[in-house]
Amino acid sequence: MKLTFDADVEAFRAEFVAFLTEHLPTPEETTERSRSSSHIPEWSRKWQRLLFDEGWLLPGNPPEYGGRNATILQQYVHLEELSRRRIYHSHNPQGLGIIAASLLSFGTEEQKRRWALPILRAEMTASLGMSEPGAGSDLASLRTRAVQDGDAFVVNGQKVWTSGAHDADVLLTFVRTDPDAPKHKGISCLLIPTDLPGLTRRPFGSMAGPEDLDFNEVFFEDVRVPAENMLGPLNEGWRIATGSLGHERTLLWVSFAAQLDALVGDFHPVTDVDKDRYATLVMDARAMRLLGSAALAREARGEQDVAALSVLKLLSTEASQLATEYALEAAGPDALDHPATTAPFAHMYHDSFTAGWFERYARSFGGTIAGGTSEIQRTIIAERVLGLPRS
Amino acid sequence: MLFEFDSDQRLWQDTVREVIAKECPPTLVRSVVDAGADPAPLWRTYVGLGWTELTEPSEAVELAIVLEELGRASDPTPFLATMTQFGPLAPGEITPDQAGSAVFEGVTARADGDGWLLDGTARHVLDADRADRLAVVTGEGVFVVPQDAVTVIRTPVFDPVLHLAEVRFDGVRVTRPVAADPQRARQLALTGMALTMVGACRRILEMTLEHVRTRHQFGAPIGSFQAVKHKAADMHVAIERARALAYYAALMIAEDQPGRQEAAWMAKAAAGECQSLVFRNGYQLHGAMGFTWENDLQFALKRAKAGELMLGGAAHCRAMIAEEYA
Repeated sequence: MKLTFDADVEAFRAEFVAFLTEHLPTPEETTERSRSSSHIPEWSRKWQRLLFDEGWLLPGNPPEYGGRNATILQQYVHLEELSRRRIYHSHNPQGLGIIAASLLSFGTEEQKRRWALPILRAEMTASLGMSEPGAGSDLASLRTRAVQDGDAFVVNGQKVWTSGAHDADVLLTFVRTDPDAPKHKGISCLLIPTDLPGLTRRPFGSMAGPEDLDFNEVFFEDVRVPAENMLGPLNEGWRIATGSLGHERTLLWVSFAAQLDALVGDFHPVTDVDKDRYATLVMDARAMRLLGSAALAREARGEQDVAALSVLKLLSTEASQLATEYALEAAGPDALDHPATTAPFAHMYHDSFTAGWFERYARSFGGTIAGGTSEIQRTIIAERVLGLPRS
Repeated sequence: MLFEFDSDQRLWQDTVREVIAKECPPTLVRSVVDAGADPAPLWRTYVGLGWTELTEPSEAVELAIVLEELGRASDPTPFLATMTQFGPLAPGEITPDQAGSAVFEGVTARADGDGWLLDGTARHVLDADRADRLAVVTGEGVFVVPQDAVTVIRTPVFDPVLHLAEVRFDGVRVTRPVAADPQRARQLALTGMALTMVGACRRILEMTLEHVRTRHQFGAPIGSFQAVKHKAADMHVAIERARALAYYAALMIAEDQPGRQEAAWMAKAAAGECQSLVFRNGYQLHGAMGFTWENDLQFALKRAKAGELMLGGAAHCRAMIAEEYA
């Protein structure tokens, strides 16, 4: 059990910090905000390209993909430094963290060149077509159909909650290619450019306001997708969907821990009740870092414990939810204002649309619902960590 | 930070678990409670194994590992009081085979000639009735007194394994305070109690899982029902959280870091929050079976709950945390 990392990891951290100190854009340069999770403001495109060129974008990748072959511990301190300074890793988070990552894990060289590189270099943005009106927690029941016709797949169906689709150049889309196989075994993965005929995107507003346009419905009507756009083998898309993505999955918790750390800084307790609640938040943030670093230690030894990550997800997202609710209550009547600026704001970490506590509390439900609901996480913990029998 | 046991610590944990499984099984605890069996031989076993020599702050994590397992087993010896309450207050006075207890408040010292006289009454002092010596915190310093210098009456409490006593000081003469840092000592006391509670909560969860796997209703093990699963998952998460914060406090003591105090408050607060949920869910999931005298679940439940009531509960500790941060 150690309080500090080894010298090589700390040296890596110091090098990254020196880079940030020299190259970070100023607040004046970063005023343009992103409209959605696939819209990268111009200043942020330049910033992401710089990180890519210098090997600081995804340090675990090889240099040709924006990295420097860093170890898992080095990747961790890189994320720790970004989150400490409240710097978004990318304004196209799913592009970087899921679509480009999937391409690098499962794609052909041509696919990596054609899609992954532009996404990493912020020349192109990507969104993820997974959920459907009838397929949320039960994702494997998805029904968007892709039928092979010559050198193309013809896609019909609908996706929903597709964040950033209206600003994205390409959608990584999960489709049913074998309706007769057991549901997990008939799914494939297609890279679908958004300018193809038959593809319609309809952004819709969120509870934060009608102008908060990130969610999309995406309709596919006889969309012809070149067969070479299939990622991974036919009918083997489920593996990609469940993210056999190793290190990315292990480090996902870091963003949750970062959120809690940010809340510790942002929540200003006033009354004794506030202070009592604040202490719970402080403990939750500390526990997240500790449990996360235990997961990191396992990963560094080559041991994966995917089910244990459910504990991290559940703990952190519910802790964030509780903390934002408490902060909202502590802010009193000022928190009624819309838009409100009761929550602090960092120039490279724009909350998408407002900095008000109500919006932050409402958005915290994204944490407990997306990426596997809290209820699903509890079931995973009960079955795969505690060994209770399946229903 | 790499927050997991190194290979030596894992080995130590395996060793401790093996010993306790053999030397302090549930049947022994039951015989202490129902048949008045004497835990002294078990105490001598710990002494013989060198467990009472884990007195260096640098060994805090190794001690923590023992404390968690003893909490899990509802240990009936005075190990917790000796190692985490008496020992840290009187580090120069420790001998490996003697049991100790600590009085943290309620006693005054008034100067008398070349010494002091101690007066006062302290309640709910852990293991005072079977300690050889007591370390007493007063406004004039910390004094060590032999147990026969005070009047000690064991107080019946809801945990039948625990020894808590009322201690009366009537002009007890002492001549020199011991070199002690009461605030530092308290950090180990809080951390030790937190670890004990975490261990007890783990036992509650273990017993609960065993129960819901084997109890069948409606043609299925009740552990297959989602509501049951979710309660169990919540218990696990609460324990993981409290356990992490407890070991962090131990690590901070071992590394002599300035964040020790705050870490100790967090350990105790999180353990308190943990026992609240784990007691409630664990007891509930056992159904009526949990409410019987003959079920050993009561020992773990009571150990966890009693810990919350000693040394300051979760709400008090949260207030201390907020003070450190605000």
